[in-house]
Amino acid sequence: GLTRAWGRMLKARVKQLQATSVPEVTLTKVELAPLQEVVAPREREESPSRTSSWVEKLKREARIQQLKVEQVSPIIASELALEAKVKNKAQGKVKGKGKKSPKTKTSHAGSPNIHVHGKPTGAAGKEAVTAPGRRVLDNKESSQFKILQQTIQSNLECFAFLQQPEEAERLLLMYHRSAKRKVLNVSAYNIVMRSWARKGRLQRINYLFSMLESAGLQPNLDSYAAALECLGRNPFCTKSIRRYLQQLQHDGFHVDELFQKCLFEEDEKEKVLKAVRMVHPNYQLPPAPSPQTCSSSLLQDFYSRMVPYPKLDFSVQELQECFQKQLELEMNNTITIESVESSKPLTPQAIKAVKLRERWGCRSAGKQEQSSPQDLWEVYNELYPYLCLMPGEEYVDPLCLPLSQVLNTLSPQGESLSVLAKELGTKVYNRYITRRKLCSGQLEKLRVVYGGYIQLLAKDGQVGPAKYLPREYWEKLVAEAGFGPSLDLKNCSWSYMLLMRLGMHMLELLVQAVKMPRNILSPRLEPRLIPALYHIYSFRSSSQIGLIKPHPIFCQIMSDAAETTLTFNSSAIPMLCPPVPWTSPHFGAFFLNDTNLMRFVDGAIQHQLLLEQCPLVNLHPVLDALNQLGNCAWKINQPVLDIIISIFNDKGNEKLDIPPPMSEAPKPPALPGNLSALDKAQRHELLLCKKKAAEMHSLRVDALYKLSIANYVRDRVFWFPHNMDFRGRTYPCPPYFNHLGNDVIRAILLFAEGRPLGPKGLDWLKIHLINLTGLKKKNPLQERLEYANEIMEEILDSADHPLTGRKWWMNTDEPWQALACCMEITKASRSPDPAAYISHFPIHQDGSCNGLQHYAALGRDLIGAISVNLMPCDVPQDVYSAVAQQVEEFRRKDAEHGVKIAQVLQGFISRKVVKQTVMTVVYGVTRYGGRLQMEKRLKEIDDFPEEYLWEASHYLVKQVFNSIKEMFSATRDIQNWLTESAKLIAQSGQTVEWVTPLGLPIVQPYYLSQLLLSPALCCRKPDTVKQKNAFPPNFIHSLDSTHMMLTALHCLRQGLTFVSVHDCYWTHAVTVDVMNQVCRQQFVALHSEKILQDLSKFMLEKYCRYSLSPCPGLLCCRCCTWVGRAKSCSHVHFLSFWFIQL
Amino acid sequence: MLAGPVPPGAAGCCRRLLAAALAAGLRPLLRGLPPCWVTARRAAGQWPSPGLRVPEAAEAEQLVQQVKHTSVVVRRFITCPRLARKVQRSLQRGASPGSQPVLVECGPGPGVLTRTLLNAGVRVVALENNPAFLPNLQSLENSLDGQLKVIYGDFCRLDPLVTGTAKPPAVYSEKLFETVGVAAVPWRADTPVKFFGILPQSKERLILWRHLFALYECSSIYRYGRAELNIFISEKEYKILTGKPGNAGSYQAITVLCQLGYEIQLLHMEPWSSFFTNLKNGGLAIPKSVRLPNDHLCLVRLTPQQNLFTGSLNPQNSPIFIFMVKQCLAKPKSRLIDRLNSWSLENGSQLLRELEIPENVQTRNVYPEDYKRLFEALQSSNIFTENWWHDEVFENTRNINF
Repeated sequence: GLTRAWGRMLKARVKQLQATSVPEVTLTKVELAPLQEVVAPREREESPSRTSSWVEKLKREARIQQLKVEQVSPIIASELALEAKVKNKAQGKVKGKGKKSPKTKTSHAGSPNIHVHGKPTGAAGKEAVTAPGRRVLDNKESSQFKILQQTIQSNLECFAFLQQPEEAERLLLMYHRSAKRKVLNVSAYNIVMRSWARKGRLQRINYLFSMLESAGLQPNLDSYAAALECLGRNPFCTKSIRRYLQQLQHDGFHVDELFQKCLFEEDEKEKVLKAVRMVHPNYQLPPAPSPQTCSSSLLQDFYSRMVPYPKLDFSVQELQECFQKQLELEMNNTITIESVESSKPLTPQAIKAVKLRERWGCRSAGKQEQSSPQDLWEVYNELYPYLCLMPGEEYVDPLCLPLSQVLNTLSPQGESLSVLAKELGTKVYNRYITRRKLCSGQLEKLRVVYGGYIQLLAKDGQVGPAKYLPREYWEKLVAEAGFGPSLDLKNCSWSYMLLMRLGMHMLELLVQAVKMPRNILSPRLEPRLIPALYHIYSFRSSSQIGLIKPHPIFCQIMSDAAETTLTFNSSAIPMLCPPVPWTSPHFGAFFLNDTNLMRFVDGAIQHQLLLEQCPLVNLHPVLDALNQLGNCAWKINQPVLDIIISIFNDKGNEKLDIPPPMSEAPKPPALPGNLSALDKAQRHELLLCKKKAAEMHSLRVDALYKLSIANYVRDRVFWFPHNMDFRGRTYPCPPYFNHLGNDVIRAILLFAEGRPLGPKGLDWLKIHLINLTGLKKKNPLQERLEYANEIMEEILDSADHPLTGRKWWMNTDEPWQALACCMEITKASRSPDPAAYISHFPIHQDGSCNGLQHYAALGRDLIGAISVNLMPCDVPQDVYSAVAQQVEEFRRKDAEHGVKIAQVLQGFISRKVVKQTVMTVVYGVTRYGGRLQMEKRLKEIDDFPEEYLWEASHYLVKQVFNSIKEMFSATRDIQNWLTESAKLIAQSGQTVEWVTPLGLPIVQPYYLSQLLLSPALCCRKPDTVKQKNAFPPNFIHSLDSTHMMLTALHCLRQGLTFVSVHDCYWTHAVTVDVMNQVCRQQFVALHSEKILQDLSKFMLEKYCRYSLSPCPGLLCCRCCTWVGRAKSCSHVHFLSFWFIQL
Repeated sequence: MLAGPVPPGAAGCCRRLLAAALAAGLRPLLRGLPPCWVTARRAAGQWPSPGLRVPEAAEAEQLVQQVKHTSVVVRRFITCPRLARKVQRSLQRGASPGSQPVLVECGPGPGVLTRTLLNAGVRVVALENNPAFLPNLQSLENSLDGQLKVIYGDFCRLDPLVTGTAKPPAVYSEKLFETVGVAAVPWRADTPVKFFGILPQSKERLILWRHLFALYECSSIYRYGRAELNIFISEKEYKILTGKPGNAGSYQAITVLCQLGYEIQLLHMEPWSSFFTNLKNGGLAIPKSVRLPNDHLCLVRLTPQQNLFTGSLNPQNSPIFIFMVKQCLAKPKSRLIDRLNSWSLENGSQLLRELEIPENVQTRNVYPEDYKRLFEALQSSNIFTENWWHDEVFENTRNINF
């Protein structure tokens, strides 16, 4: 198969060579043709991607690929299209006439129609290849161009990995010789060079260098590294070495740079060095570059005043073992763990079902083998390299494992095709990355460096007198080991489109392969194999969604043969040893699993590009903060976990947020055989049942995953490596079980490190408990503490008899955390000396930087600052009550003036009604959304007249906005300025970007929506509305995250344990006071920066350089008013008085 | 689908004006006819002209502007008397000389068309969803002798599928037909009632889908027989309803179902600008259309096909048919045989051969009649009895059929 395909390709190339002379001749003749060419394909093939089915899609891609190979000149293509169009028209007319007689209708129902359509699509397909191609070439900066580049590179990279340099070169040649040559950049050629270099084929390298020259490209360092590596493998070519070294210097490079900048795999570095030394026997490797330090004014103190890094309670030996465990886990890629769901005794039917399930495994495996890569090449040649990534049995395995996972976890409601496809594609990708890391020798290097890194963390580790941060120490170790930057892999990420296509292909195989006997549940039926999965479309309002659904019989069998194990990707489990510190946007967190520093929305590559362009030293603070969050060690609160699992396995409890099992689901009423015989009420009931069951299923499965993982790590210490979203908000990488989870999950997490409670620790525990109950929200802390002391009786009872006692804890806002806290208080208070009691319990503190505070501080808004507790004041201020008062004031006035709705609202305005809207106003809630919130609140009030809901909520939201405007004059101003600027920027066709005070570059990834797989995926226009509306909240979120990172870093300096759930900060009870102090100091420090001024300057520089860009006036001058105000009223002074409310 | 007659152009306008003037002059004569004659004509649905004054466009527009429009949906009104006359003639064109069914005018608003219709002797039921228009209409109702009936209700919210009774302006067809006094007739009988309305463009597609479901299930207004719809829809929607097989842009699932279910007649085409909207800025709110022409609103007559339920298609299994067509045309470029195979049909290609449908045909090239034949063939092959079909059809129906 393969050879045949290449044979075809060669033939095509011959044809192409013959054809190259034709266009010059025909060019003058057919100059008119392009005009029609534009018309013809447009009409036929409107948006080629929109309507084709998924299978169709793959085939079309294959066809396009084939056409690329055939290289029919565009003129011939257009002629074809034109010809077909004429034919089509003629036939169309005939058809129109014949239409009325029903006899002829059926006869030409399909056939002539098909023939007519067959050709133009083919021709249009050719057009589809050339037309975007031309557009792409016009704009080298466009994302589409980059994605194409990336796809070609990952194709080449794949061949290189498979050690098939011949194939790689053929692919390269194909592009090199076509009109799309401009898509190739030096690195594409380099990949091929490297794979030849590994084989020591100097001739091919020389040839590729000449190709580079003919393409008008300059060889770069990597090209020379490949050449030298190749020469290093050939013992007697000093002449060539001299020549290449000369050329290298001629191109303005230095030999040292090879070792400083190139990424080497396996023995490449040694070979290059060998080659260099053949000519210069005394050549010494360049010294490692001296580490740079971040110059941000916010962190000058932090980076200059070094303290020893806090040690873990582990010895080197123990950490080494943990590392080994984690490595094993990741090398397996997936892990199968016991489910916490208690297993039921197997019924005979279940046993049958289990047997059947095992058979499925075999059958789908068998099918995989049948469709070996060679056959696939015929149809899906674009995916070919990826499908042969895993040779032999492994080829079956990586496909089967995720696929059987799909089979096991597919919910009866089905799963969206694109979600599944992406998941599968990612799984194959992960396997590929793991294998690459193993093969390239990268893992060995990692092992060495991590071995050294352990010394920094272990209690008996030897680091020497110098003081390091984890990132700095890691960098030092890497430099000392002489690995240079080579711990990173070379550019190897797969584009989103590729992942999707691969996934779709695998899903298609799955749907075709997995069959079951139809009569398995009712033996009376005649035996016949039917597919266990089906692919259908679901219609939601205007869109249609492809779904993969399991057959109901299949679901029945799966639930009968309930799985007792769960299989996860290894990255879903918390790490069993401290994570690899982030040292670059690509390197950190797990050992083998590929993790990105920044999470991004599907298909958006802007973040990646932005981070790559950013000088690494600017990212240091962010990397260090993430490392700090990831280095916090956790353990499980076993007593609480046991109670939760016991309820989970009993009947669940919706009030306590433990999802009940499916056996508790409402049973649908008995159905008559015929669906349409149901009346409206019956249908409705049935629907409700189904909906409820679907919800319950997903909740149950989610809880099952989380609890099973928690149970798996119950006796271990574990870590959550962190990364962040595009605004810099941090998240733990493992998706299911982490401290960001709900009440249930938070309650079972404890710090692995214990600290004595200290003099005030017990008080903090009690206050924390009252905070969790949701009572006493308006009272100062002292009163909360007093209240806790009053109800000590209840607390002790809850801890001692959680399920049999008075159950006080169950009636709180966060019952499970409250229970865990009760237990901790009980233990501490019963210990002989509570101050010495070692507590692992995390205390939460509000980072208290809600949006209003940020705005008040940004706008130097004095009155605003008072009402959000930024200014010293005797009583804690409650901004919500203040707004409610203001709204009431407005209402009273209106009522006096006879406004009807204001009179109706008398007595209904309270803190509760306005709270949500006030809270969200800073995050950009619109009048529309605000009204909905209001309506919801008003509906909750029983005696509010329903007919006034709309009008009242409309009125209220208006008044809330007015009140906020009145009270926080600067807030609305700043918001408007941000919104307006974003609008102008988006309208000029650009996306809004900014840089946080810590130096993190941010870009808003909102574009006008387009279908997922459309080829023009990324040359998209920004979505003005979203860009505009989201800018203020995103900007505030980025400030929030900056504040969190600053707090994290300074807490590290103070030696505290610190983690965060966005703006809720966690630490030990003994260090709460210190953390609060750091938190405030950092807030003041952050806002002492000229944040708005810097933003304005940045935007002016970025967007106002060209004439078409938004008006510079608006981007800068309005900001100056605040800056002016800032100077005049010296609020830096007022900020430093920031009141500590206690 | 039968092509509609050519829409009347501007020519002949003067003549019509003259005719109208003459008719006005004759009015006193008609008034003086003996009462028994009048009753007989009334029984046949033909009323003498009450000789109402039709307000001028400016007057009607002012009326629309005075009214407070709480709904977000853009409404269009006929305010120009000339347009009203054109519509009235289009509606009456082709009517058989015998007894005339009652006409339900949905959303009369300022009542320009209502008066025109009344003057032409039509018995009208006005279904208005904005309470602000009601007093005006009601006083008109009171001034007449039963020729007009005014009901507070919304055509877009006909037979809502919410549980419990829906609040007005939602209306139930039982209630509507009871008030109008129309009884159910057999399917093959003549149309028992006519509807006229201007569909709001944001809900156009949804309402059409809802009517298709109701039509195929013989529920809602179609429970009473082949109720006839005369509706203004956007030109692009009209192009879709009348799309030809193979036309990628306009041949959709709704096309197939509509062409099988209704006889589609184009009565009249009118530029968007002829209608008055309830927008404050006087904008026309013309929905965008990239591929299809969209310069007009089209007055389309949808008459349910008499022979819809011949063969094995019946109101009970029709949801399955609708589901099948939708699945086939979800990706119009996919091959029909692939679709059939994905439904775990054993011998799809043999079936297609028997039906004389080419094996490699794309779903967008299959004629509506062939979809019906395919359904009938599949019905006998029993694949629809597989339980997943039942579940899916059921879930799919709920998304449209509220």
